[in-house]
Amino acid sequence: MPTLIIDDKEISVKPGATIMEAAKQLGVYIPHFCYHPKLSVSGNCRMCLVEVEKMPRPVISCAMPVNDGMVVKTDSEMVKEARKGVMEFLLINHPLDCPVCDQGGECSLQDQAMMYGPDRSRYREEKRQFPNYDLGPLIETEMNRCIQCTRCIRFSTEVAGVEEMGAVYRGDHMKVGPYVEKLSLSSEMAGNIAESCPVGALNLKPFHFQARGWELHKADGVCGHCSVGCQISNDHLDNVIKRVSSRTCDEINLSWLCNKGRFAYDGLTVERLEKPAVKDANGESSWQSALDKAAELIKAVKPEEVAGIADPSGRGAEELFAFQDFLRNAVGTTHIDHRTRLQDFSGDEVKLTRADLMMNTSLTDLATADVVLLIGCDPRFETPLLNLRLRQASLAGAKVFSINPRKLDANLEGITQSVVAPGDEIAFLQEVMAGFDKGGSKGEAGTIASALKKGERPVVLIGDYGNYHPQSETIRRLAVAITEKAGALDGKWNGFNRIISRGNSAAAQDLGVVPHRGPGHKTLESKGKNARDIFKAAAAGEIKVLFLLGGDPMIDAIDSQLVKSALDKAQVIYIGTHKTPVANQADVLLAGLALGEKENTVTNCEGRVQRAKKAVNGPIESKEDWRILRALSDRFAQPLSYNNIEALRTSMAKADHRYDLSELDTNEIAPACDHSPVTTGLKIAGSSSSQKGMTLIVEASFYRDNGLARSSQTLSLLTDGDSVQISPQDASKQKITDGQQVRLINGERSVEITAKVDEKIPEGVLFGQFGCKDNLVQDLYDWEGGFPQISIVGL
Amino acid sequence: MSSKVQILFKNIHKKDSHTYKVARDGGGYKQAEKALNMSTEDVIDEVKRAGIRGRGGAGFPAGLKWSFIPKDNSRAKYLVCNADEGEPGTCKDRDIIRYAPHLLIEGMIIAAFAVGAERGYIYIRGEFVKEAKILEKAIQEAKENGFLGDKVGGKNFRFELAVHRGAGAYVCGEETGLIESLEGKKGQPRVKPPFPANIGLWGGPTVINNVETLSSIPSIIENGGDWYGKLGVEKSSGTKLFSISGHVNKPGNYEVELGIPMKTLIEEYAGGVRGGWDNLKGVIPGGASSAVLPKEVCETVTMDYDAIAKAGSMLGSGAMIVMDKSVCIVRAIERLSRFYRHESCGQCTPCREGTGWLSQIMTRIESGKGVEDDIDLLLSIGNNIAGKTICALGDAAVGPVSGSIKAFRDEYIYHVEHGRCMVG
Repeated sequence: MPTLIIDDKEISVKPGATIMEAAKQLGVYIPHFCYHPKLSVSGNCRMCLVEVEKMPRPVISCAMPVNDGMVVKTDSEMVKEARKGVMEFLLINHPLDCPVCDQGGECSLQDQAMMYGPDRSRYREEKRQFPNYDLGPLIETEMNRCIQCTRCIRFSTEVAGVEEMGAVYRGDHMKVGPYVEKLSLSSEMAGNIAESCPVGALNLKPFHFQARGWELHKADGVCGHCSVGCQISNDHLDNVIKRVSSRTCDEINLSWLCNKGRFAYDGLTVERLEKPAVKDANGESSWQSALDKAAELIKAVKPEEVAGIADPSGRGAEELFAFQDFLRNAVGTTHIDHRTRLQDFSGDEVKLTRADLMMNTSLTDLATADVVLLIGCDPRFETPLLNLRLRQASLAGAKVFSINPRKLDANLEGITQSVVAPGDEIAFLQEVMAGFDKGGSKGEAGTIASALKKGERPVVLIGDYGNYHPQSETIRRLAVAITEKAGALDGKWNGFNRIISRGNSAAAQDLGVVPHRGPGHKTLESKGKNARDIFKAAAAGEIKVLFLLGGDPMIDAIDSQLVKSALDKAQVIYIGTHKTPVANQADVLLAGLALGEKENTVTNCEGRVQRAKKAVNGPIESKEDWRILRALSDRFAQPLSYNNIEALRTSMAKADHRYDLSELDTNEIAPACDHSPVTTGLKIAGSSSSQKGMTLIVEASFYRDNGLARSSQTLSLLTDGDSVQISPQDASKQKITDGQQVRLINGERSVEITAKVDEKIPEGVLFGQFGCKDNLVQDLYDWEGGFPQISIVGL
Repeated sequence: MSSKVQILFKNIHKKDSHTYKVARDGGGYKQAEKALNMSTEDVIDEVKRAGIRGRGGAGFPAGLKWSFIPKDNSRAKYLVCNADEGEPGTCKDRDIIRYAPHLLIEGMIIAAFAVGAERGYIYIRGEFVKEAKILEKAIQEAKENGFLGDKVGGKNFRFELAVHRGAGAYVCGEETGLIESLEGKKGQPRVKPPFPANIGLWGGPTVINNVETLSSIPSIIENGGDWYGKLGVEKSSGTKLFSISGHVNKPGNYEVELGIPMKTLIEEYAGGVRGGWDNLKGVIPGGASSAVLPKEVCETVTMDYDAIAKAGSMLGSGAMIVMDKSVCIVRAIERLSRFYRHESCGQCTPCREGTGWLSQIMTRIESGKGVEDDIDLLLSIGNNIAGKTICALGDAAVGPVSGSIKAFRDEYIYHVEHGRCMVG
């Protein structure tokens, strides 16, 4: 370990570290603009110049590797002089319009000009001017403020993998921008270029002129839009979240956020359920009478005629725990589930461990994988921050393979994509399995097998498509078997990963929001009905009261027709936050709180448990979901035992020790991944599907995957209208043109929607999306019928 | 005119000197053959002993540069010839390429062999269209005659050579800017360390030498490093091409031993200053980025690296711009600083902002709108640029401005006081 002296203080650092890193370790601040710990070093701003003994000129500390015995001065006359010079240069062409700049108050340039700059300018010439760009709904530009640090360029190119930002021209006319005047940034990570901009050149458009930086209060939150659980800060003023920014977390989101996590917050104030309501009473109700009504509905039927469906996205672990606690113990029913997109429930029949159900490779380890196999997984749009780790791995030379029903719009270097038709996945995976044996398989499957075999740190990831496939459990078992064959279940390196993208799903699994397991993955003696059977029974009149916690199964569940008839038939109690279709149907509406309005616990896809703080109050008459449940339980013989969140958390921690965070230090983060063994050797069923005609696949829509995102005005600008995508071949066969209205028919079910011809779609498959406003393509799904076979008619 | 050793220009007077046949008849590729029979260490050793310093401008000892190439690095190594002759006033490499391209290729074969490079590139200035064609032709001939390709000179040594034309950026003459450009990126110098010897072209260890440096190598192999080392003067060995332009009677490229008095060079080779020696105002001794030397200094200074540095300028590329008394120094430097503003790559702050600022002030002074403070401001800005940039372009932009203020401050003062030039 090289030892050096910085400002008379000695420090030893790891070999290859830079002076900047060593100084940081020592707590010595070196001013900088272009340096960003999560980006490559460009060394262009020259603000971090320091003096090194025996070197004739000042050197930039961000790029200079340390040597043993180096003597560095960060505050000598030479350094002060150099900084002053650089500051003056940076300011000569800067507009100095801090009073009207969004960045004012939290601007590196402003701060450092105060600290190190001259107090007046010697510049008498005319200032340079740059044109602004229209970069779409997320980023506002004021390019005269640009100091050409190239952070945005490096972020886009290196991290996001989209070459949308660059610099044209030379010298003092060097212009940073998107090369063209108008370009709506396509990257799902675009917001980060504003956050990493050290000045006010790139600003967040939704935050433009909304607040001054110093007025904002920051509340540490955890993003709930997908299951990565990025650390965020909800920056709020006057009880309104004005901006979401990232907190740096090396284990999870580094310094970045995706657009959904960053921009969905405006949905908090749109279409909110503001107070409790009872349908009979023309929507008017007090909390007292609404809770009385809910209790009355439940008590009017037998306990086993009550069922609960929760949407973990947007809910805290506390509420999920209290929900199942209420239903199981106060009401006495066993019908509880949250898996409204799952079609294959056969996994419930065997005892699966936590490791079987979630990730076993941590995000940090994922970046070091050398072979990556994606099975029915589109990480870029399911879990964008997880995808960054895969991108890091791919840039470091990992071989990436995808088995998906279509070519992914991926940003993973050198990805090899196998397009496998719906229903053929199992045969394909079996071929991969065979590839490990002597003789092996040929073709794409063989290549995948031999790469996995050679890999020292292979990982297998199943994503949404694989998890919600009609034979998802078979796929899961095959994935386990392949991981085992690849030697990645040997205890040293666990490469099996099941990624449920829905936010906080892991907490729902952990805390027993499933019909067959109690909190803490405890096996239950009597199993209740799963989500599909609950809706079936409700539609058949066997379940009479449906208790829904958050979300909207009409939009989010597969087979929305079945859901609709179930909701029509049963009495519905709904704890929710937004005016979704289900809220209109509910007999009793209980206004809950959204993320950011409550303190809560979120478990991410790696199984890491994190706490989020409350930022703002919800609507005046809304309440925390667990408090609603607690109050409701008072009307039953066995009320919930906790009266405050601490007591609730203690109960939760008692049920599942992973939720006991009392031992953690303030800045410590709970561990990732379960170290329980992955269950191997389960029987693998054969492929049962034989497809004919057009198959419909419904996927999650990145910007419309949950209630908050759907309510966001900003995100709505990033999505196109409802549509179904069709291949050019099929379109020409059916004589359908791009943008034409079509009718999709599956037996008695039919949906009218706009067709979009997309050459990335393979022949024989139609792609629709969850979260559409009016044209629910999942109407065409029969929950038990596998992939729907569709006939399509042009209108 | 004492001994006239001609190394680079030895054969250029011959008809069709650029062809393989003429080159070969004049002894071409003999030294490559000789070197291929030596050990790589011995070749580097000869070059080290010759003490030849880089002729592109920086004057870094070539042998030492070669010896930095790591032996244990498994990555492919590269040899790059810097033929992006962009320093204003310099036109020496162009003549080598025009009249002795095979000498350059031979030098590159020897260098590639010494450092273990299998691939070489000649990065040639975009404007040198004709010269690029000559090089392509010469490479073709060398290939046909077995001096490039899988078995160079029949030996077990592979060397391929390609010409790459630049796109007209001065900064691509800076070695790491050149590498970026060669890789197809925007020509912006890289932060050093790492140096190209460790991480250069495509991430591999890379040697970059100037055309003149590489073309001098065959003679070092032929006559030995000691012989070459004795040419010229201490620490500035060998012969050097000087491109003499401006107010002389016989402008052109002259090959002389280093250490020759400047006055001798101008008077005896370049035909003397227009209007006689006493009509001399000053000389820019080493390309536009070197500081102008006033007549008093020119009287005695000798043309070698150390003497010119001691006089407050630099030998640079050896491009001498001779200016007689009709020249307005402010106007001349104003034009140069406009050049640097235009050519700054814009990457790092001091150079991007500083060259623009310098140029704007110079323009203001030249157009009669300067104030007295401007002169010290120019020096102060220069001080804030020099030594604080990624590459040497910042220093290059400062050199002419601060050098001219030092030597001709009275002209600047006259400009700001009278709003016009003191000359004519």
